[in-house]
Amino acid sequence: MRALLGVAIALSLAGCAASAPEEVKLTLWHNSADPAPLLEMYKKFEKQSGHRIELVSIPSDGFEDTTQTKWATGERPDILEYHATVSGLLALNPAENLRDLTGEAYIARSGDLYQAAGSVNGKVYAAITGFPQVFGLYYNKKLLPEPPKSFADLSTACATLKSSGVTPVFEAGGSIWPTQILPILYLADANQANAYGKAIAGHSSTLADSGSPFVAGLSAYAKLKADGCFNKDIVTAKFEDSMKALVTGKAAMVAQHSDMLPALLAAAGGDQKIVDENVGFVGLSSGKPLVTYAPGPIGTFYLPKTGDAAREKAALDFVRFMTGPAYAEYIAASKTFPVLKDVPDPEGVSSVLQDVKKAYDGGAVIAFNSDIPGMGGLAQLMSELIAGQKDPQAAATQLQSQVEQAAKAAGLPGW
Amino acid sequence: MRNNRAAPPWAHRWALPAMVLVTVFFVAPFLLNVRFAFSSWTSFRAEITWNGLENFGTLIDQDLLANAVTVTVLYAVLCMAIQNTVSLSLALALQRTSRINTIFRSAFFLPTLISPLAAGYIWRGLLAPDGAVNSFLGIEWAWLGEPSTALLVVAFIDAWKWSGLITLVYIAGLNSIPRSLLESATVDGAGPWTRFRRVVFPMLAPALTFNVAVTLVGALSAYDVIAATTGGGPGDHTRALNVVMRQQWGQGFFGSASALGFTVTLLVIATAVPLVWWLRRREVAG
Repeated sequence: MRALLGVAIALSLAGCAASAPEEVKLTLWHNSADPAPLLEMYKKFEKQSGHRIELVSIPSDGFEDTTQTKWATGERPDILEYHATVSGLLALNPAENLRDLTGEAYIARSGDLYQAAGSVNGKVYAAITGFPQVFGLYYNKKLLPEPPKSFADLSTACATLKSSGVTPVFEAGGSIWPTQILPILYLADANQANAYGKAIAGHSSTLADSGSPFVAGLSAYAKLKADGCFNKDIVTAKFEDSMKALVTGKAAMVAQHSDMLPALLAAAGGDQKIVDENVGFVGLSSGKPLVTYAPGPIGTFYLPKTGDAAREKAALDFVRFMTGPAYAEYIAASKTFPVLKDVPDPEGVSSVLQDVKKAYDGGAVIAFNSDIPGMGGLAQLMSELIAGQKDPQAAATQLQSQVEQAAKAAGLPGW
Repeated sequence: MRNNRAAPPWAHRWALPAMVLVTVFFVAPFLLNVRFAFSSWTSFRAEITWNGLENFGTLIDQDLLANAVTVTVLYAVLCMAIQNTVSLSLALALQRTSRINTIFRSAFFLPTLISPLAAGYIWRGLLAPDGAVNSFLGIEWAWLGEPSTALLVVAFIDAWKWSGLITLVYIAGLNSIPRSLLESATVDGAGPWTRFRRVVFPMLAPALTFNVAVTLVGALSAYDVIAATTGGGPGDHTRALNVVMRQQWGQGFFGSASALGFTVTLLVIATAVPLVWWLRRREVAG
């Protein structure tokens, strides 16, 4: 009798095991700046799929360096959150390391997004769920009722603000990377239809050409510095400091991107009303109020080849979950704009994010460096420019050398 | 009187564990990795080919190598000088074992237990233009942002971090000096300064050898404190070899990064071997 009971229990347990989905542990390297609604989506996927996601947080300060360093050791996550720019993608050696997602349903629903991002040589490797990072000028509405529309306006505003004792533009040289934003904004005018970026990537122009737009951008930046338009602690200040200075009215403007909105909210003590009352966002370039956009790392996922069939299947399920029916739910919760055309805009979007969308719809140009490999050294060169160790021409010459090094390594045509 | 007794034939066996560790964790990785310094290894493609001295040439063309070597050597000399001066002074002050000295020795040793990155972040906060140090002094100075002070300040932070350990070695050295020798010098009429110069300092030679070598070689491979405080800035004023290596690595130029790692190793060997040889000769001569 006891033996029969044992067999019955064993059979019923075996039956249970056969019907329950096998739990797979997926490793996801993600940006520490992932907003709460995105983190919530990871949990929802776990709940729905029965799989487990182990989050490996990569600090957003130095995100590219740290990801590359981990990547270089040969370590591979099942899911990688990373930049969708072609330059960022080339540095991952996608043909060798990433799974080709061409043909997935979300691509056709994304308009022409993947023409400019997340793909190399006609193969799509990325699943972009986040609205592009929109680079422009955050400004304090109380200090600056009329925001600048060009660099000439910026210089004029700088002189007026300085005389009233306000820091005109707050730069966060201590975080290093934010200092490259203003020169990139300057170039939007010259890079319409990505013309300048293509010329550099195709080697028909160089960054260091005499009178090149790039040298002009660095020169405009150097002039702002010489005119005293930046904060005194430009070398040591971190990007969190810049957000705080803007919200509290110590500074009038900060050049940043739209994924910094959570940091802006944090600087206002989590009070969206304070942000909306004080902060606006506009486009800026050398001559027109254009915004610069770049597909950002937040919510851009890649599936590295791991060789484990079960994990690879579960990772693809994750991408299908993020771009499937749950996407509308994510957009509604995150109050960001969708990249899938059939998903409606969210309701109750903050005023500053509405400004971002308005500026984006008014004229958006892809960042000139999106397709150019080897541009990672720009931020370090900006540090030297700020310290007065290099002039714009010398900085452009050195950066061109780094671009050449990377372009040759990547085997780009024309190099 | 020299000790002329030959070492017993089995004496070298005691060095075996150390030799195994050095071989496994230093010599073997070095030999296995040195080839990458002369390779085209990047994140952009899978093939790795021999490219001779091209990585070094690229680093020179991009104005990275010479500056990094200069910053590294300058930083190492500053760290060595500050740490040994501070630690020897502390050791002389805290040599006698008493309750109060034990408390002070522990207090000065505490920073050694803190992670270098954490120490760097703490000091970055304290030395910020609106930080505690400037508030206390009533001045406005970007200690880590001014080219004239950044490297020196980072060297001081490194000294603050490690001086407790170096002090202990000097105290051990001071306590090994025979009391009779100092008493004889006193009877012969030597004052405190003469006793220090003619008896104490020469007798401290083994401790000095260890401390100078450790501080200099340690600082040649500096990274963590610099990364946490200045990140290599302002400009490239604190961009030591390992900081540039990390930046090259981060951009996917692994061959160039390996070339910088190779340069650090060469610098350490080229400095440590003659230095220890010279200091040991000085000990024997003393």
